[in-house]
Amino acid sequence: MKKLSVVLSLLIVVSMLLAACGQATPAPSTGGPAATEAPAATEAPAGKPYEGQTLNFLTIQPHNVAAQNLADWFKEETGATVNLIVVPYDNVIEKAVLDVTSGAAQIDVVEYWYPGLGTLVENNVLENLDEWWKSKEAELKFDDFFEDYRDVLTTIDGKKYGIPYDGDMHLLWYNKELFAKHNVQAPTTWDEYLQVCKTITEAEKGNDVYGCAIMGAKIPLILIGTFLNRLGSYGGTFLDADGKPVINSPEAVAALDALVAELPYALPTPSAVAFDEALGGWFTGKVGMVEFWTDLGAMTDAPDASVIGGKWGVVALPKGSGPKAKVVASLNAGFGMGVSTTAPNKELAYKFIEFVARPDIALRYNTVVGGIDPVRKSTLEDPTFIKFAGEELVAAIKEGHKNLAPWPTDALWFKLQEPLTDNLSLALTGAKTPKQALDDTQAAWEKIIAENK
Amino acid sequence: MNSSLEKHSPKLMVLPVFIVLLLISLVPLIYVLGISFTQSTLSKPFNDFIWFENYKKAFTDEIFGASLVNTLLFAFIVTTIQTFLGFVLAFAMQKERKLSGLFRTLALLPLFTPPVAVAMIWRLIYDPNSGFLNYYMRQFGIFEKSVAFLGDPKLAFPAIMFADIWQWTPFCFLLCLAALQSLPRDPYEAAAVDGASAWQVFRRLTLPMVAPQVLVVFLFRFLIALKVFDLVYMLTFGGPGNSTQVASFYIYRVGFKQFNIGYAGALSILVLILISVLATGLTKGRDFLLRKLE
Repeated sequence: MKKLSVVLSLLIVVSMLLAACGQATPAPSTGGPAATEAPAATEAPAGKPYEGQTLNFLTIQPHNVAAQNLADWFKEETGATVNLIVVPYDNVIEKAVLDVTSGAAQIDVVEYWYPGLGTLVENNVLENLDEWWKSKEAELKFDDFFEDYRDVLTTIDGKKYGIPYDGDMHLLWYNKELFAKHNVQAPTTWDEYLQVCKTITEAEKGNDVYGCAIMGAKIPLILIGTFLNRLGSYGGTFLDADGKPVINSPEAVAALDALVAELPYALPTPSAVAFDEALGGWFTGKVGMVEFWTDLGAMTDAPDASVIGGKWGVVALPKGSGPKAKVVASLNAGFGMGVSTTAPNKELAYKFIEFVARPDIALRYNTVVGGIDPVRKSTLEDPTFIKFAGEELVAAIKEGHKNLAPWPTDALWFKLQEPLTDNLSLALTGAKTPKQALDDTQAAWEKIIAENK
Repeated sequence: MNSSLEKHSPKLMVLPVFIVLLLISLVPLIYVLGISFTQSTLSKPFNDFIWFENYKKAFTDEIFGASLVNTLLFAFIVTTIQTFLGFVLAFAMQKERKLSGLFRTLALLPLFTPPVAVAMIWRLIYDPNSGFLNYYMRQFGIFEKSVAFLGDPKLAFPAIMFADIWQWTPFCFLLCLAALQSLPRDPYEAAAVDGASAWQVFRRLTLPMVAPQVLVVFLFRFLIALKVFDLVYMLTFGGPGNSTQVASFYIYRVGFKQFNIGYAGALSILVLILISVLATGLTKGRDFLLRKLE
């Protein structure tokens, strides 16, 4: 028995030593080192100064086309080859964290989902870009970024860790043909939305056509996004100004009540509807309305993509009811781009984000189909973009920017979003009432916050 | 000196294998065990030693409890059906010589398909709006309106089970077929001479002879099924609600979505203990059953 204890103790020590050897967690990065490592703001030498060099760029599958475009354009200009590391959109944060914490250190540039920014910073995945921002501010016209995006997509505790890349707000898209057929107007409140959805669904009974598609699959980005579209417009928030949970506020309960009331008239069945299902219904002309990102128009109008090309309309999300009700644009998704602290080619990584942050490149990637939405004011005003996107969409985006409802970016958010997702899903299936689901979420959040103080 | 070397040489020769086995199996296990007593995150392994706090938390974690129940139900139901169907198919095919190659090739196709592709195929089949299952069910008047198999808490788990049965029944079929085809012919010839009925031959000869292998198939498949992850990840993400939450997927969520590696380690150890207890119980049960059949 004694021998066994000795052997087991030795094994524990050996495994811990091996584990320690595997940790290549860098020291927390600060503005200082980043500033010295960042290339100076000088003109690129003639020719292709980075010919033969390679860069590993972590991107998400829905942005694969856009990332490939960036890679091609960057190669044309600098000669450097950009290798894409493409992962599903909901795995990008864990992939970036594991690359640094495991010591693999393969990724140079990370395209990150902004609610994960706090987690990335807590795990020392991203370089602090404060000095780089200061040095590039005038040249790259950072004041041209929308103010709301400039902060929420890049900043934690007042420090910059990335550049805004994809401004992913939700708008309400509607099928003009179906609306004309049923003589309904684009809704301006969630009550009207329910009525329009109900009207179309009931009138089209038996034709497999529905008034709305509601994305309610149990995936945080999808389900919380759908809820936030209502939560923000009823005047609710996830956390108050002091960071305390207020997820069971009367506004939040009213928002979830509204969502649950819409379910019977939506494309069946919201609990199983993710992007593919919602887009399938939209492209085939089977749904009247869908809450989606600003690139849906371009996707719908792409050759052979849908049967409703040119027959869609878009408006800002409907307003809730009650004293705090307002029109909001939920920042569901939204991506920034940062430099990994363990980037094998840090100089090239900085060059790449500088390239992506340029106004001319932003206009270029926003005027091709690739799933990237404008983050610059100048893009929205540019005639090329207006022609590409349409004036209706540009007006809806501008309306949305008046009240942006973002997700929290705190490092705790990834822990908080799990019980919220569970409880929203339970409310959608009827296993819990909206009030009960949000009360349970509030209790779970208070516990998590207390445990992590 | 020589005799000492000779005496110890077998141990020395086994040593490299022992070291390799130690490195690939025991060290990761001990790593997980060590980390389960801490409040580790991905970037801070072995952070804050908290003894059994993670284990205490696990015992009061309702979702983990529900996921264990779901896991056991899933494993038991799919394994029973797969083994039964696999055996029935193998029994029906065992004497078929001309087409046996074709059947075996067909049976291998679901096994060759990557689990993610299997999940995608079934997601398309189950789709309430464009899936062919709903289409034909409505065409034949079986369903009045589309059914969202993956969106209904009562149907989502059976839908995942069905996809799993489709993928893994061929595995059981092939192993049962191999077992049946390897049985000795003499007892059957003797039974034929004695005028035994088909049922008597099956009950008295085939079943006792093939049972040990079939039970091993059941045991293997049960242990594999306890680790189901891919179908849940691709088809339902544990939803709707927690209706398809299984242990592997919950541990993944805790470890790689909440980055709570210490707690995920504790959950993994608990699942390991549970599986070990079940495996021991099933092995004992197998021995008991075999004695009964004899």
